[in-house]
Amino acid sequence: MTQLIDYLLGGLGSGMIIALMALALVLTWRATRVVNFAQVGQAMFTTFVALTIQTLTGSWLVALVAAIIAGALLGVIVQYLVLRPVRRMDTSGAIIATFGVLIALQAAAGMIWGGDSQAYPQPFGNTALTVFGREWPVSAYDLVVVGFGVVLVVGLTLLFTRTDLGLAMRATAFNPEVARLSGVRVSRTLTIGWALAGIVGAVAGVLVAPTSAISPNSFDILLVFAFTAAVIGGLDSLVGAVSVGIFTGLVLSVVSGYSDSSNAPVVALFLLALNLALKPEGIFGHSKARAV
Amino acid sequence: MRVAETNAGDLLELDDIKVKLSGLQILDGVTIRVPRGLVTGLIGPNGAGKTTVFNVISGFVKQDSGSVTYEGRKLRHIKSHHLAKMGISRTLQGVGLFASLTALENVMQGGSSRLRSGILSESFAMPWTDVEQERLRVDALAALDRLGIADQAERLPSELPYPIQKRVALARALMPNPKLLLLDEPAGGVSAGDMAELSSLIRSWVPERSVLLVEHHMELVMAVCDLIWVLDAGKVIASGTPDEVRNDPAVLAAYLGEEGAA
Amino acid sequence: MRDLMRLPGARLVLHAAIAIGAWLALTWVNGAVDPLMNYYIALVAMYATAMFGMVILVGLSGQVSLGNGALMAVGGYVFALTTLNWQTIPFTVIPMNGIWAMLFAAVGGVLFGLLIGVLGARLSGPYLAGLTLGIAVGIPAIANRFPELLGGETGLQLTVPYPDGGYAPVVEEVDQQFVEELPTGQDELPTGQDPLASDGSGDLLTSDNFPSGDASVAPDDLLTSDNFPSGDASVAPDDLLTSDNFPSGDASVAPDDLLTSDNFPSATPDASALPLDPGSTDVSGVDVSGVDVGFVLERWQASLAVAVACIVGFLALNLVRGRQGRAWRAVRDDPVAAAVSGISPARSKVSAFVVSSLFAALAGAVFAQILAYVGPGAFGLGLSLSLLVGIVLGGRSSLVGAVIGAVLLVWLPEFVLSLSNDRGWEEQVTNNAPNLIYGLLVVLVVLVAPGGIVGTLQALVGKVVRRARKAG
Repeated sequence: MTQLIDYLLGGLGSGMIIALMALALVLTWRATRVVNFAQVGQAMFTTFVALTIQTLTGSWLVALVAAIIAGALLGVIVQYLVLRPVRRMDTSGAIIATFGVLIALQAAAGMIWGGDSQAYPQPFGNTALTVFGREWPVSAYDLVVVGFGVVLVVGLTLLFTRTDLGLAMRATAFNPEVARLSGVRVSRTLTIGWALAGIVGAVAGVLVAPTSAISPNSFDILLVFAFTAAVIGGLDSLVGAVSVGIFTGLVLSVVSGYSDSSNAPVVALFLLALNLALKPEGIFGHSKARAV
Repeated sequence: MRVAETNAGDLLELDDIKVKLSGLQILDGVTIRVPRGLVTGLIGPNGAGKTTVFNVISGFVKQDSGSVTYEGRKLRHIKSHHLAKMGISRTLQGVGLFASLTALENVMQGGSSRLRSGILSESFAMPWTDVEQERLRVDALAALDRLGIADQAERLPSELPYPIQKRVALARALMPNPKLLLLDEPAGGVSAGDMAELSSLIRSWVPERSVLLVEHHMELVMAVCDLIWVLDAGKVIASGTPDEVRNDPAVLAAYLGEEGAA
Repeated sequence: MRDLMRLPGARLVLHAAIAIGAWLALTWVNGAVDPLMNYYIALVAMYATAMFGMVILVGLSGQVSLGNGALMAVGGYVFALTTLNWQTIPFTVIPMNGIWAMLFAAVGGVLFGLLIGVLGARLSGPYLAGLTLGIAVGIPAIANRFPELLGGETGLQLTVPYPDGGYAPVVEEVDQQFVEELPTGQDELPTGQDPLASDGSGDLLTSDNFPSGDASVAPDDLLTSDNFPSGDASVAPDDLLTSDNFPSGDASVAPDDLLTSDNFPSATPDASALPLDPGSTDVSGVDVSGVDVGFVLERWQASLAVAVACIVGFLALNLVRGRQGRAWRAVRDDPVAAAVSGISPARSKVSAFVVSSLFAALAGAVFAQILAYVGPGAFGLGLSLSLLVGIVLGGRSSLVGAVIGAVLLVWLPEFVLSLSNDRGWEEQVTNNAPNLIYGLLVVLVVLVAPGGIVGTLQALVGKVVRRARKAG
């Protein structure tokens, strides 16, 4: 029992990162009805940017800020150059275009920073915390990760519920035509959605990098986990993405703990397939997964 | 009256159909009969549930309760791709043509239910698949010809004017040689000048075939229908010949109510 | 001409003529070019085989799938496992050879494709893409789960089954008695392969594996040169037996090395990293003494890949240019209209999945023979992505486009490599430049020329013809 609790606690940090990446996928989906398969590519790229800044300045926080700026910029660039023109085309085209961006970003990162895995410095202690005379499978860094996640989620929630911009974004997600008629500048709203997604993804990238090292392909598996969480969460729902994301992290941690970490992708795949077969609209969502 | 001439029984019967979609009672006990060899119309204000009736018949929407009887047999699990084999053809709102297929190929697809060869004989291009295709091609060309658009056979839908596209869709619906044609707003986008032609086209199918159509265009409905069912808010509020329906106070109220609200 | 094409059987004759013509021409080319070129031809043919399936799945049926790399893995692994473990088919005692193993791979691919297809056919665009993405990432992980059976991260080395007799004139000198006296030891086997303990590994070298008593059909792939009584080095097929062809299976050929830094495993045939070293066979194909020994592994691999590509191409032509192709496009364009026309959209989509998995599995079996290796790294997400890149660039709905895409996938990295040699680029630039170009090209093609190379050319030709018609 204590073992199970340990495994669950150990999955908290990675769960939060999956949740953030899923959140980024949901933000772009809500904005433009496109699943941005390049999202982890963008996050990988901005994390490399952060690593460069970190090496130059030595400050983890400055590097994080750089990643956030780069993430927002990259989100806007991808949306403006690729997705805006492609919206007029078929869904296949949009999906393929995001994969094109992913391939290009990974290659560009490989060109600039090389293909090998690079360690990302630990800003805070990564040793297990000792509280109540017992070692817990949670480090100070895990708490920082969870803290950042909570701040982002609360911030986004406030943005969506308390501000005019949030209202405009919700209206646009619900029905772009109606939103346009009620005076929302739809295209600007969509671009902001992509920028927000870029920021969330960038934070997730910087947060996950110290625990796993970083290479052009190192986030591929995160894409699978995040997509799984986003889809099970309903793809439309911020709450769904975050809660299922954390849940996915816990499940994977328990699976890895009791068996082997290489089982994690298979388990995620199983969850995804099960969800798509039984309840394709997700637990929290209303979007339509079924084609026919 | 034309209705009185029917005694061959009903081709299609809907009995007490109820459908609830995302919390709304779209159909609330709809009972409709479609007699053999007649043109039957289904009208009603917007949101009355007309298209849902079509979707129930064609298997896109499953009713919560009630039954659909076709040729005296109750249909339980209607699969939309089995309709053609059962002798039911449906057109879709708008045109619903396949954008990457030529007009001729579109019409040929309408005869898919007649094909016997499977994917294995297709993989090896066995000669009998060619024979089947050729027969289908000749029939499709004839169908286009009957609608006077055989010269457009090699065009893509996007290259054709809207009324011609509508006719291609009609030709496609005729390909399975259906007993019952379900026409979803056949007059939509058709100019006033072409309306007479459309009426006589529809009339030319009966009594060999039976027709059930959903239409907003009252002029066409009154001109072609032998029997009309009026739907409002998921319920049948009136039925009868065009003259009877035209003078029914409930119908007037429903339509006036809609105009008043709009 | 058009009326002629409507005669029953005309399509069959035309498509067979195209396939056989391509096969004859390429077979002639196989004999005429050097091993390195044959290696490229084999890769192009292998990519084309898989991409014919992608044309049907992504192009005609409109289902963007990244699972085809994983389906190639299924084909490759089934092929490797059957050739490694079953020298005879257990339940029939018919000798197992390459053909049987290919058929097994095909069956495996079809079953797997059916599974994904049934699940995937009900899903719309991004959901399907995401699910298949998960499969592409997750399937290689399965290899890691079963290290004993599937070789884990290291993968499995395999011997490429040669046809009976092969091209090697030397074999005629081996008499039947010798064949029966073959040693049964395992030390000739590459250490990387670990056949299931009792499952016929001892049979590997016994005579009943050899299909006939005909002396000319000696199993030369299993022989080491010291088994040759004559000791005539000049005619020994030693190209098969050098360590280059049988990597020891130690960590130095782990998949990570195989892939270098980029994620396109085979598009950049980094000669030193691939287990199959094209350079070494230049020497062994033509012996030091200048005597042509007749048998070059690459030539066999290329003719195998070409033959499979031509057969698959024939099937694909029949399907694409026929009723089935139209049905797939109809469902893609408008599933509702297709359903009321009497086509089952679900069945149509599943059939596209099954056909493309069959092709992918066959391509995977060919790929296994080109690499003489299967491993999780060789069939990763990069392979799936490169298949997608190939058909998008060539033209999503065109079989010719698939061939053009396949050529691009093999040619561009080589072109970049030669450019880089001239200009002295850094290695990490050279390694990643092809993918950067692919990625940008894919975006560009989707934005400005969704039909790819072939679609754009067709549109141009159509415009010219229409203008000419108007003018005339």
